[in-house]
Amino acid sequence: MANERVIPWQPTVIAGPKQALLVTPETAELMIKKAKRPLFILGPLVKEDPLLTYATKIAEKWNLQVVTTADAYKPFNDKGLNPTAYGVVEIVNLLKDPEWQGVDGEGQHDLVIFMGCIYYIASQGLSSLKHYAPHLKTLTICKFFHSNADASFPNLKDEEWFKYLEKMGEVG
Amino acid sequence: MIVVAPKPKSEPKKFKADFWKTKDFKVSIGEIVEKEGGISEEKTPMGPTPKPNVTDLRSWDMKLLGRYEPFYAPFCDMCCLCTFGKCDLLNKKGACGIDSEAQQARIVLLACNIGTAAHAGHGRHLLHHLIEELGEDYPLDLGLNIDIEAPITRTIIGKKPQNLADLDKTLSYVEEQLSHLLSACHTGQEGSSLDFESKALHSGVMDDLAREVGDIAQIVALNMPKGDGDAPLVEMGVGTIDNTKPVVLCIGHNVLPGSSVMDYLDETGQEEDLEVCGICCAAIDISRYNDRAKVVGPLSRQLKFIRSGVADVIIVDEQCIRTDVLEEAQKKNTAVIATTDKMCLGLPDMTDKDPDLIVSKLLNKEIEGALILDPEKVGEVSVKVAKILAPEREKLKLLPELDEVQKMAAECTECGWCTRVCPNSKPMMEAVIAAKEGDFSGFEELYLNDVCYSCGRCEQECERELPLMSMLAKVGEKLAKTEKFNIRAGRGPVQDVEIRRVGAPLVLGDIPGVIAIVGCSNYPNGGKEVAEMAKEFLERNYIVVATGCGAMSIGEYLDEEGKTLYEQYTGDFDARGLLNIGSCVSNAHISGACIKIANIFAKKPLEGNFEEIADYILNRVGACGIAWGAYSQKAAAIATGFNRWGVPAVVGPHGSKYRRLLLGRTDKKENWKIKDLRTGKVMDGEPAPEHLIYAAENMEEAIVMTAKLCIRPTDTGKGRQIKLNHYIDLYKRYHGRLPPDIHLFVRNEKDIPITYKKDVKEILEEVGWEPREIPQEPSLMGMGGD
Repeated sequence: MANERVIPWQPTVIAGPKQALLVTPETAELMIKKAKRPLFILGPLVKEDPLLTYATKIAEKWNLQVVTTADAYKPFNDKGLNPTAYGVVEIVNLLKDPEWQGVDGEGQHDLVIFMGCIYYIASQGLSSLKHYAPHLKTLTICKFFHSNADASFPNLKDEEWFKYLEKMGEVG
Repeated sequence: MIVVAPKPKSEPKKFKADFWKTKDFKVSIGEIVEKEGGISEEKTPMGPTPKPNVTDLRSWDMKLLGRYEPFYAPFCDMCCLCTFGKCDLLNKKGACGIDSEAQQARIVLLACNIGTAAHAGHGRHLLHHLIEELGEDYPLDLGLNIDIEAPITRTIIGKKPQNLADLDKTLSYVEEQLSHLLSACHTGQEGSSLDFESKALHSGVMDDLAREVGDIAQIVALNMPKGDGDAPLVEMGVGTIDNTKPVVLCIGHNVLPGSSVMDYLDETGQEEDLEVCGICCAAIDISRYNDRAKVVGPLSRQLKFIRSGVADVIIVDEQCIRTDVLEEAQKKNTAVIATTDKMCLGLPDMTDKDPDLIVSKLLNKEIEGALILDPEKVGEVSVKVAKILAPEREKLKLLPELDEVQKMAAECTECGWCTRVCPNSKPMMEAVIAAKEGDFSGFEELYLNDVCYSCGRCEQECERELPLMSMLAKVGEKLAKTEKFNIRAGRGPVQDVEIRRVGAPLVLGDIPGVIAIVGCSNYPNGGKEVAEMAKEFLERNYIVVATGCGAMSIGEYLDEEGKTLYEQYTGDFDARGLLNIGSCVSNAHISGACIKIANIFAKKPLEGNFEEIADYILNRVGACGIAWGAYSQKAAAIATGFNRWGVPAVVGPHGSKYRRLLLGRTDKKENWKIKDLRTGKVMDGEPAPEHLIYAAENMEEAIVMTAKLCIRPTDTGKGRQIKLNHYIDLYKRYHGRLPPDIHLFVRNEKDIPITYKKDVKEILEEVGWEPREIPQEPSLMGMGGD
């Protein structure tokens, strides 16, 4: 299929007419640059290398505040990211509240970048934010296209995905 | 041989002559009056809400919903329920005026209503049949150790049911409420998400009632175990089925057709000649009726087992059956008999025909299958058909050979869509690619532990139409032969004496909690995780109760000595007890046990007293459900029923697709205020339990959250220490540090577990913690909303 890269990875998560914008690493970087209070949410699917390192480099390069979900805390803490641990539904619940003051208590986030959460529960979380959190944008840099996000990487093979992530984590 | 309820090993206690006086045992007098007068008038005080209507418990619901605010995750942006639509509800209202939140809540209510209707329909069918057979005066005798029969009915209806006719009245009330609840889902009715949620909670409790009616009816009328911790061990697993004999397979939830098969075999002396087995709750209930029936396993086995061709006859009753069962069975020349009005499959109604005529028509393929609505006839027809058909089908019992599997695999184009449409993104394509080279390890990994639960979506997508499920079943065939397990037969209710024994340690926290492992087999990583969770909590002294597919999954794993958890742990309701309570409908006995704790331990009157009982459970009874593979509308209704009684539940990641969770916010201190009924003072409470229904992303998260959700405001210092010890221990295992929210659960220094004293104190200092006053009788009653 020609548009296979932008059909949601699990095709039946299509929720309606609004679909995520397909982004390249460059556009994703622009979104992060533009954001004032970005938050990086890292799930259990990226808690091992090489993804652990790619994600760490991205967090470091962009000086991102990090939340881990499920049991992803320890490896990222060991990498020195000083993450905050939440359940994925807990952090999404907080993010949809415009009054919540963010992980550092200094104000709600305006961009949330997801990577490595289990696809379908992430999709549900993104749907929640799409409907009830107009105050923020969502970006997913998983290897799967997430139609419920505002912006998403397309479906990618590992090799291509790693290149994307490398680009986003490159310093200089 | 019909197996009666097993007798207790020990002699019944011999009471002194004045025992009944000292215990003020008025119930026996009440029973005599009832039998003579016909109408029961219990002399118990009636609480404020007997037979509550849809809005009568709304104030309680709003208290719950104020603390545990609905978290919505739309599965779909649209509403397509009426011809105004489709309407796109993304940041817009629909043509009827509904917004996205109300629409999600409406779908939750609809799901709960479907679940409740399934249990009510099931209960109604059972009751009709049993009243016809035994008469409506047939007494509800649950044995000597259960005085508080039907605690849900007593609390909601306000009266102890005495006989089948009373159950019938209870069910009529459920049906009436269900009409109102379903009506609220119609276009242009309810407009508030919170009111939809209140109705969903009402539906959940109606589901509780329907389940209690269904299970009590079958326990008393079919003489199933009555709260017996020593219920017999039943054989489970594909490997226990002797496929050299004719095999009758029952799928679904209604015991009547399967029990009739067992009766027919006994009556005709053929009990050794056939194998009778079941999938899903029908298996559990038939084995409660007769322990010679075998359990194939949970729902996740369905398609693989049908494809294996082992069954000569498949009897389907109701709920959770593959709707293409007829088509699948026909491929293997397996005869299909549908037995309830819920699932007729387009088959001719043969109910009034002579059994031998039906047998002949089935064998001669004059009919595709038969709809037989008379359970007794099902017993006779299925046995006769299986005996004749089995020898003819021998070759069909074979799956494709492994070299054929390899040839089929060679046709794979490696498009990858099998993996993409897999609900758990399991590597089916990789398994097929490896099989091309004769390496079947990928298929084996998918087969073992039901990592692939054989929904068959991959096959639907395959551009080469490869029979992936049959290939999987073939590779798993040799593994299946070793699948020989034991499950304890469903024991039914928890006995009053057991509650007396553990009520205090449970309420005070010495037994850290009751973990209810319930629900279906839509597991993210196979069934083994369910057994692992059960083991984790058993080893930590919790009471683990289980039902349905969860109970089966727990029994499917062996330790190094080849024993299942059911063989390693007692079946008593006590610390380190593992109880198979029974089937889906038996879930009523889990909330029932919590209600009994309030009644027996705290002497709270039940009749018409829902709110006080639920308030007690929420604040004092450290129980938490785990529905790791919840997928159905029934599971939605069951969990919502638990929630209204004040019992939290953790669902697996697929549970997020129910669209709504009920989550607490620890950062909103005002949400946790409680009233101390002892002093009348409104004071700061603690987030215990923190959430009411929560979806965990993986098993590790679920285990930690479950331990946390067993904390209650009334734990004693010692009890809290024990609970926090488990919470910290588990959190530390998976996160490598202490939980950062630990200070929220430390009321004073006595709560700090000795093992972690230094570390916890450091955190307390860091966050500026100060000791808090402990309420004596924490309550949500008398707070806002009343």
